[in-house]
Amino acid sequence: MAGKPVRPVNAIDQTRRMLSLVTYLRERPGARIEDVARAFGITEDELVSDLDVLPMCGTSFRGGDLLDIDTDGERIWWHNPAALGADAAEPLRLAADEATALLVAARAVATLPGLRESDRQALLRATAKVETAAGEAAGASSRLSVTFESEGGVFADVDRAIAERRRLWIRYYSPARDEVTEREIDPIRLVSVGHTYVEAWCRRSEARRTFRLDRVAEIRILDEPSAPPEVELRDLSEGLVQPAAEDPEVVVEVGPGGRWVAEYYPHDSADELPDGGLRITLRTPDPASLKRLALRLGRDGRIVEPRELAESARSAAREALAAYDGAGAAG
Amino acid sequence: MAIAKAERLMNLALCLLGTRRPLTKRELRESIEAYLEAGSDDSFNRMFERDKDDLRELGLVIETVENLEGETGYLARRDSNRLPAITLDAEEAAALGLAAKVWQQARLAGAASGALQKLRAAGLPEDVDPYGAHGALEPRIPVHEAAFEPLMLACRDRRPVVFDYRKANAAQPEQRHVEPWALECWRGHWYLAGWDRDRGAERVFRLSRITGKVRSRAGRFTVPVPDVVTVRETVAGWAGETADRSARIRLRSDAGFPLRAKATSVRELGNGWDELEIPYGHGLDAWLVEFGPDVVVLEPEELRADVVDRLRAVAKG
Repeated sequence: MAGKPVRPVNAIDQTRRMLSLVTYLRERPGARIEDVARAFGITEDELVSDLDVLPMCGTSFRGGDLLDIDTDGERIWWHNPAALGADAAEPLRLAADEATALLVAARAVATLPGLRESDRQALLRATAKVETAAGEAAGASSRLSVTFESEGGVFADVDRAIAERRRLWIRYYSPARDEVTEREIDPIRLVSVGHTYVEAWCRRSEARRTFRLDRVAEIRILDEPSAPPEVELRDLSEGLVQPAAEDPEVVVEVGPGGRWVAEYYPHDSADELPDGGLRITLRTPDPASLKRLALRLGRDGRIVEPRELAESARSAAREALAAYDGAGAAG
Repeated sequence: MAIAKAERLMNLALCLLGTRRPLTKRELRESIEAYLEAGSDDSFNRMFERDKDDLRELGLVIETVENLEGETGYLARRDSNRLPAITLDAEEAAALGLAAKVWQQARLAGAASGALQKLRAAGLPEDVDPYGAHGALEPRIPVHEAAFEPLMLACRDRRPVVFDYRKANAAQPEQRHVEPWALECWRGHWYLAGWDRDRGAERVFRLSRITGKVRSRAGRFTVPVPDVVTVRETVAGWAGETADRSARIRLRSDAGFPLRAKATSVRELGNGWDELEIPYGHGLDAWLVEFGPDVVVLEPEELRADVVDRLRAVAKG
């Protein structure tokens, strides 16, 4: 399934890696397993599985000159580097997909407003060099693009607070309650998944919270040191909102015009209805936060469960209408 | 035991890279253990063709040459496969290292690390990692849409496609024939821009609304691809960010922070209410209704009527 953190056991990726590995190892007799794995961005186990395959590979006829590469578990030794002619071990040019993947990502990261200027410059220089080296293979990279959204000033302050390990004071807008609250937070990390968020320890709720930067109304770096408790970083690849099994269930029925709800809200199920609509079941720790959704849907949908939520949306709508009844005649 | 595919591909790659003269299929079959074990000619041929495609996919330029006997030979010439000289300093290397990690889509993540590994083999510095120092920044490019990979390949190879697409407010999907130009990710969602053959016009599609499979069509593009393809402007229009008029509303004093952030003027009325002037674009009615009794639309009349209409629908339940 797309979106999983990525390290597929895939013959193409492994072949690609092994081709680079032979070039790399040729220059570095006795390279340490740990260092090579880090340089290649793979686990030591993955590296060892490559080292199991390489001795079965060679340039020519069977049995003649297989690569005599082995390891004592700590270092890697290649006993016959001549088995590959000097020029059979040169670094290979970038494939179109490789150039695209690296260049599109580099251009996207360069749009992050909070990126330190020196880092952005380094990235732009590197991007230009890779474009040149990739030559024609770089062409297709213009067919993909990614923009990260984030509030520049807020981003820079959060980034600095994390680097200097300092606490932050923020005024934060919560759409669920339509209110702005003040809180002190100890920032842990910045995450960009479409929008940019700071994951932090919230001193007000004494819990881990994720704050969307474009909802930060005001921010100040405090002198107090940031001291978030040791928390295990979550894998966010499945999305920032990861409802817990014990969260209350909400059932929403939408018509064709409300199908977008299934695109925006992580849900447990979305069953087709005969009129082209959907019956969507989702879980949230705070069903009251969905009152806005109920109001927004209008005739395109309604909350089925919980009933208190449905009723609170109805009474909010009635109260709102009252203002128009009065002013309507005059206005 | 069957020989692992990676071993077979690696041997084929090394043979083709190591030879100075084209090797015939027969020679390759005799050189590579996995091909010897392949059994019938048919299964060998199929395997060989697939393997060549796979190696090309990872960037190997394989030439096909006919020898004097009319036999086809294959080789991967060094000069067409060598990475041109590239020197990156430690800072540049660290920046690329960060970039290579942002993909959450298997194929692109694999390709990005492959690119980095090739650069590593070419001497990309390893030690300094200014991002690792505090590890604060973790940009991720989300790709949850199944249509992404086939469309990415179709954009790359300029192949027409056909898919079922359900518009935002349509109950039933409709088949669309599209010449795909470019994919863009904005606010965490992927969009495709291309030429819609049925409409005879440029269109933007949201990938999450593509239902079912994306299939390739034979043939070429019939319309030239523009130099600049704009996706974001179109999507911003959908999102109501291209306001051309303004509206006047009353807002309770302690409410509606995002409305205030967008307001062009705010006037305190003193009775617990403020009066705001805000940009009026597509979708404003739905947004205002979210604030329930904290917002009253004053003008224009059209917006006022839309909001009342929506509120009535909710009040009825």
